This record gives sequence, C-alpha cells and structure tokens, in this order.
Amino acid sequence: MIQVQGLVKEFTKKDGSQFRAVDGVSFQAADGEIVCLLGVNGAGKTTTMRILSTVFKPSSGTAAIEGYDILSQADKVREHLGFLSGDTGLYNRLRPNEFITYFGRLYGMEDRIIKQRMEQMVELLDMSDFMDKKIEFLSSGMKQKVSIVRSIIHDPPVMILDEPTAGLDILTARNIVSFIRDCKARGKCVLFSTHIMREAERLSDRIVMIHKGKILVCGTLQELREASGLSDLDDIFVYYVNQVQGETEVQAHEF
Amino acid sequence: MNFKKAVVVYQKELLEMLRDRRTLFTTLILPVILYPLLFIGMSSIMSRQTAVIEKRGAAIVLRDSLMVRNELSLAVKDTIYSELQRTNYFNPVFVDHPTPQKLYADKEIQAIVTLADSTTQSGLQTYRVAVQYDASGERGSLVFSKVQEVVRNVEKGLVTDKLLRQNVDPRIMDLFDIERRDTSTTQKKMGMFLGMLLPYMMILMLVAGASTVAADLVAGEKERKTLETLLVASVKRGEIVLGKYLTIITMAMVNVMVNLISISLSARYLLSQSGLDTSGTQLPVKAFLILLLALLPLATLFAAILLSVSTFSRNMKEARSYEQPIMIGSMVLAMVSFFPSVEINTLLALIPIVNIALLFKAVMINEYQLLHLLLAIGVTVILDLVAIWMTVKLFTTESVLFRTEEEGSLKQVRTRQRSLFNSYYGLLYFALALVALFYLGTAWQGKDLLQGLVKTQLLIILLPVFVVLRIFKLKPVQMLRLKLPRLTEVVLIPFIAIPAALIVALVAQYINTVFPFPQDYLENMQKLFQMDASLLVLFAVIALAPGICEEILFRGFLVRFYENKGIWFAILISALLFAVFHLDPFRLLPTFVLGILLGYLTLRSGSIVNAMLSHTINNGLALLVVSYAGTRWLQPFITTKGDLEYWLLAPALLLLVAALWAFHKITAPKEM
Repeated sequence: MIQVQGLVKEFTKKDGSQFRAVDGVSFQAADGEIVCLLGVNGAGKTTTMRILSTVFKPSSGTAAIEGYDILSQADKVREHLGFLSGDTGLYNRLRPNEFITYFGRLYGMEDRIIKQRMEQMVELLDMSDFMDKKIEFLSSGMKQKVSIVRSIIHDPPVMILDEPTAGLDILTARNIVSFIRDCKARGKCVLFSTHIMREAERLSDRIVMIHKGKILVCGTLQELREASGLSDLDDIFVYYVNQVQGETEVQAHEF
Repeated sequence: MNFKKAVVVYQKELLEMLRDRRTLFTTLILPVILYPLLFIGMSSIMSRQTAVIEKRGAAIVLRDSLMVRNELSLAVKDTIYSELQRTNYFNPVFVDHPTPQKLYADKEIQAIVTLADSTTQSGLQTYRVAVQYDASGERGSLVFSKVQEVVRNVEKGLVTDKLLRQNVDPRIMDLFDIERRDTSTTQKKMGMFLGMLLPYMMILMLVAGASTVAADLVAGEKERKTLETLLVASVKRGEIVLGKYLTIITMAMVNVMVNLISISLSARYLLSQSGLDTSGTQLPVKAFLILLLALLPLATLFAAILLSVSTFSRNMKEARSYEQPIMIGSMVLAMVSFFPSVEINTLLALIPIVNIALLFKAVMINEYQLLHLLLAIGVTVILDLVAIWMTVKLFTTESVLFRTEEEGSLKQVRTRQRSLFNSYYGLLYFALALVALFYLGTAWQGKDLLQGLVKTQLLIILLPVFVVLRIFKLKPVQMLRLKLPRLTEVVLIPFIAIPAALIVALVAQYINTVFPFPQDYLENMQKLFQMDASLLVLFAVIALAPGICEEILFRGFLVRFYENKGIWFAILISALLFAVFHLDPFRLLPTFVLGILLGYLTLRSGSIVNAMLSHTINNGLALLVVSYAGTRWLQPFITTKGDLEYWLLAPALLLLVAALWAFHKITAPKEM
C-alpha cells in the first residue's frame, strides 16, 4: 500500500530561484491495485517516484510504503519496495545471476533463498539461455528481464515502475505489461508512470493525472469519463489541463 | 551500519574490477611487463650505443710543432703516430694539412692533436700534447680518452727505456699499487638503489592505481546509470561508501605490491647486467613489508579523497580531470625522498605524503622515532576521517548525486551570467601577472634592485589593474573599495598589524630552524634591506609601494573574481594567490596567513585603506628591525644571534586577538 500526503519538492536553480517540481501531491494506492501516474514530460512523475523510493527527500509532506514512513524508516521502505525505471541501469561486467544475487544479498536474503527465487523467475521469464553471459552482451529485451528479476527478487509487496516501457520495442514492452498484470495477480500494489495514454487506459485500475507538479484529477477510467463527459483519455487529459489553466472548452478536435 | 552489507558491496566491486580489462591492465599487467622492458631496454641500448660510437671511428689530424727536431723528438712523434694508427677504428692523418681548423669546423675530423716540446733548465726535453676536441659529444670524449691512452702508453715506453739504459728498475714508476677491496655486497647496492627510488615510485603507483579505480566506482556508476539501482536497494549510503572505499584501498595496495615485486626483480637483473654477482642476493623482504605497512595509511587517505572526488563528478571524464591535480601534487610531495639532506622531523611528520616518504627513508637506515611514526599515522588518519565524512555527506546530497540531469538547464543560466568577474578570468589574470613578474620583474631587479622594485610595483602590479578597469568601464573607486576608513578603524590597525607581523616573523623563524633556508636565499633578503639608499627611500620602496600596489591587486582587484562564491572563499583564494605571487616557497605559509588577515580587514570594513596601512606597517617593521637591530632599545626583543625572542609570541597573540575583536565589533557586517 502506498499513501502519499502533501508531497512538495523544491529544487534550487543555479540563479538562486526556487522551482517546485512536485507541489502538494496526495494520493493512495491499495494492494492488488494498479495505479498509473499520468502526465507529460517534466510533470513531476519521476521526482514523485524518487521521493517514494527514498532517493530524494521531500521538501515537505510525507508518504508511507506499507505503513513505513519514507523519512524516518527509509530502510524499511526500501526493503518493501521494488523499483524499476529507465535510470536503474545494470552492471555490464557482471553476469545476470551475479547481478541478481548481489541485490538479493543487499536485501539481506540468504543465498539459498536467492537461488530458489531466481530459478523460479528465470523459468517464468524464459531466461535460462543467457544467465551465464555477461550483461554487456545481452539484448535490450534480455536486460529488461534481468532488471525485472532484480526489482522483485526480495518479493516486495509494493512495486514502483517509472516509465517502464520508455524506449523499448513492442515485444520487450509486452514483457513489462504482463509483468505488471502478474504483480497485480499476486496481490501487489503497483504504481507506474507513463506519458502514453493507451498504456494507462489498458493497464491501470486507477489513474492519477499530474501536471506541473500538481494533481489534476484522480479516479478510475470510468469515473473520469463520466466526470468530463469525454470518452478518449487524450481528450480527458487535455480537458483537465485546460481546466486548471482557466479554459473549460476542449479544443481537441480542431484538426 | 551493517558491515555485512558493506562486505557484499566490496566483494561485488572487486569482482567488477577484475572483469574490467582497463583496470586489470594498469594494475596487474602493465607493471609486470613495464619494468623489465624499461630496465633491460635501457641497459642494452646504453651498451649498444657505446659500441656503435666506437665503430663509427674518428679522423684526427696530428700536427707537428716541435722546436728541437733531433733524432729523439722525431722518434717520439713517429711512435705516437704509429700507435694512433694501430688504434682500432682510428684514422690519423699525419700531414700538416693546410687548413685543419676548417676540417674541424666542418666536422670532417674530430680532433686536432698538436705535439710541441720545450726544454727545461737542466736540459731535459719535455713534450706537450694539445688535444682539441668537442667534449659535448660522446664521440669527442671518446676520441680524447683514446688519444690520452695512446700518449700515456708511449710515455711509459719511453721512460722505461730510459730507466733501463741507466740501469734503474723501471718498476720504480709503480711504487704504489692501489688495490680496491669493496665490502659492499650486491645486496647492499640494490638496497640503496631501491631505497632512493621506491618511496617515490610507490607513492606514485599508489595514487595512480587508486585513481583509476576511484573514478570508476561512483562517477562510473553515474555514467552507466547504475547508481540509482543501487540507491533504491536496501543498503545504507554509509555501507556503500565503506564497501567502495575498501575496494580502492585493496586495488591500490595490490597495484603497489605488483609494482614492488616487478621493479625489484628488474633492478636485480639490471645490477647483474652491470657485472655484479647477484647469486645469493635476496630481495629485502623485511624492508618491503615495512614499506607496505607505511603505505597503508596513505592508501586509505588517497582512497577517501579520490572517492569524494569521484562522487562529486558527473562522469568518469570529469573525475579523471579532477584527479590530475591531486596526482601531480602527490608526485611533487613524494619527491622529497630524492633529497639526501631532508630528514623527517616533528614538523615534516605532520605533512601528509611527505611524512610517509621520509619515514620510509628513515626506516631503511633504521633511524626512525616512534613519535614521528605516530604523528604521521595520526595526521593521515584524521585527514582520512574528514575525507570519508565528506564522501558520505556528498552521498546524501541529492544535487551532487543527480548532477547529470540538471546539466542542460544549468548551462543556459551560466552563459547568461558570464561576466568579467568569474574565477576563471581571475586565475588567468593572475597567471599573466605572474609571468610578467617572473620574466620582466626579475630582469629589472637584476639590473638595478631599487629601480627594479619600483618598476615592478608600478608597472606590473598596479598599472594593469587600472587598464583592465578602464577597458571594462568599471569605476575604480567602487570596484577596488578605495574608500576612506573611519578613524576608529585606522587607530586599531597598528594594534592589529604590529602583533600580526611579529607572529608571522616568529613562524617564519621557527620554520627556518626546522627547515633551514638556503644561505644564498638569506643573502638575497639581506641585499634588499641593505640597498644603498636613505631609510626614507627604503621605506617608500619596501613598505609603502607594496602596501599600496599589492593591496590594489590582491585585496582590491583579484578578490572581486571570487566574491560570488562566498566572502571567505574570496579571502582564502586571494590570500593563496598573494602567497604564490611572492615566488618564495619559504615564505608561502606566512604570506598566506598575512593575506587572510588583509583580506578580512578589507572586506569587513569595506575599505582597502585598512589593508594598505596594515601591509605597510608589516613591511616597515621588518625594515625597522633590520636597520636598528644593533640599537639599545631593540635589544630586549632580540637574541644574541639576531633572532626574535620567542616569548614575544604570547603578548603578540593576546594583543592581536583583542584588537581583532575590537575591529570586528566596530565594523558592521556590511559584506560579511
């Protein structure tokens, strides 16, 4: 379970001015639920997720993962969290099994249990062909699978995925999609971010729209459709963006 | 802190290092092949060179300038000629060639040998063999030694003949036979050779090995985007730092060990090549162990510093460029092991790198004190902890860890704000001034000291500042803080300047006792105060002019380049530049401290006049002490040897602190 309460993150620019990347964000995600953080580039998705993963500290506000506070119990938060993003690279000089074992050990797992879980995952994701090759020689799809196993080796109840399909080809992206569905099936709480409307439409139970650091709206696809009177998620998104900018008219079908 | 997790990080980093071909090559393979190639190559090239030069031979002209041309002297001439002819690869031309000097100038011949004679009062005919040759080339030297050998042989033959004819045993010429009995073993010779070379080489290898690894460990992770993967895992920042820190130490020590073994084996080969008997010699294993032990604290220090540099850097390239100055600095400090006269003492034991280099030398000759060992290790460990603390601090600073991403937006901001006063231009200006001082100033002062000093102050130090301000249309009064101070400030200045000058002088004096200034350096300083001029003129040149001109440059102008990075940063950097500008390693520390004080006075009060006054008093005081050293009223403060009494330190410190406190009180914190 994820509970986010009034998160604010300010960065100081070189000229001394303050910039609010995240501005009072609150939302929740329950176990067995897929929540999508939807927004354009620079909306504050990555910053929010980095705060949740304890890599950044919020300027104010707080959040809890499985009831553990991200500020006072950062260790516990990381133990109960699986994190995957385009910025979580792999160690090219290691082999997949070494790489995964390394992270398993960092989570304090016994080697026996790491091995057991790794074997399960390898079979599930059909990875046995390349477990002994160095990561630098793997294709991007293979690397993606290794990253997935890395993020879930400690069987965390909460998964956070920051733009997990960005830059991936269609077949590789399918790995991720089925992985997210699988997580839900196992009762995990999944939060993923994207700027691709179709992905949000297809995968998520609930959508949290974020723009310029602020939350626009939050709800199931059905709720959003009813509230806005529009059917297409693209239009719904533009509708809410324009709403905060003082324009209620949708100007989507102007072409 | 969970040490088990630090160990997990450590093991993984080591595994990665062993997989990295570049690291593997520089730490293991390069040393193994480098020294044998270097040493063996060098010795074989050297011996081959000599052989080649000999084979190329030489042509010489033998000239006959004999005065007394009797049967004997002509025989001498013929013997020398035939002996020269019999020498291998020699081609003597025994003709009075019409223009031998031209041949010599055209390098057709390598030497002109002229045979002359004279007769002593007792009627004995003696000979003089003049050899004209070029000693700068190896060929010339070789020709000379060959000619010398031939002439000496001919001489010996002649004398032996003469003695035999007079029934004297020719062995009378070799009355003394000198026999060499060298008790040093090959082992000892190798020890001495390694003792000179090793501390320097090993410190160099240590920092080189550590820096390759360090750049990869954090900056490399940033570059490869693996840092975030690590940070979201269940491991504390401190554990990551510890694991990586241990990795650097391990790799650096392995690098040192491999180098040590390779260099020793190669040195042994080199000595055996030079004709020494190396059978039975052993590597000085005990000395090696001591060296490794002494290098361990240094390895930890380098590891901590380089790790913080790596953490700060955006990528490996940036890390490597920050590492450069650290490597060069360590090289310079480690070079002390080459100076035979420098030995470790309490003061030097406090300087990192220098202390380890000197300590090792002391250990080699078995004359080290426990105090020095403890001081050296203590200082290193303290610096170590500071650097580790800094790394952990950096590791928890988001803006440092994620610097890569803001780069794009930052660049725009920076280009917009670029003005004359940034640190880069400050350094550039300083460098140009330093070059002018070094070439012009030194030349002027060499010609005429008094006039040269005035010209240096006015033309190199003062004038360019105003030219630059003029070009950039900046107001000098405002820019240089040329503002009259308040009367109360002025009244306090002597109470600050005089004790400060005393303290600085005492520190310099103390440094002199542990690290004696060279004699000609002291004589040069004396010259300055004993110029042929009246005291008033001396005061104007030595005290007043620097007080005004140098203050304008350092506290007025150069300090401006660094103020946007913080007032104290500006004070420290301008003081450092001021210290370097004196081109005098012996006064570096005292001038640096003085520079900090002068910077503080200027920036705290907003008026440069305070610093000018203080600087003038400081220099004037030195002049006063030298000029009136003999007079009665200075006697209580000066020892019989002409030094200042050390007890002056206490009242001076007291007065300085009190006066500075008062100054701080009466000046509002305008800019500080």
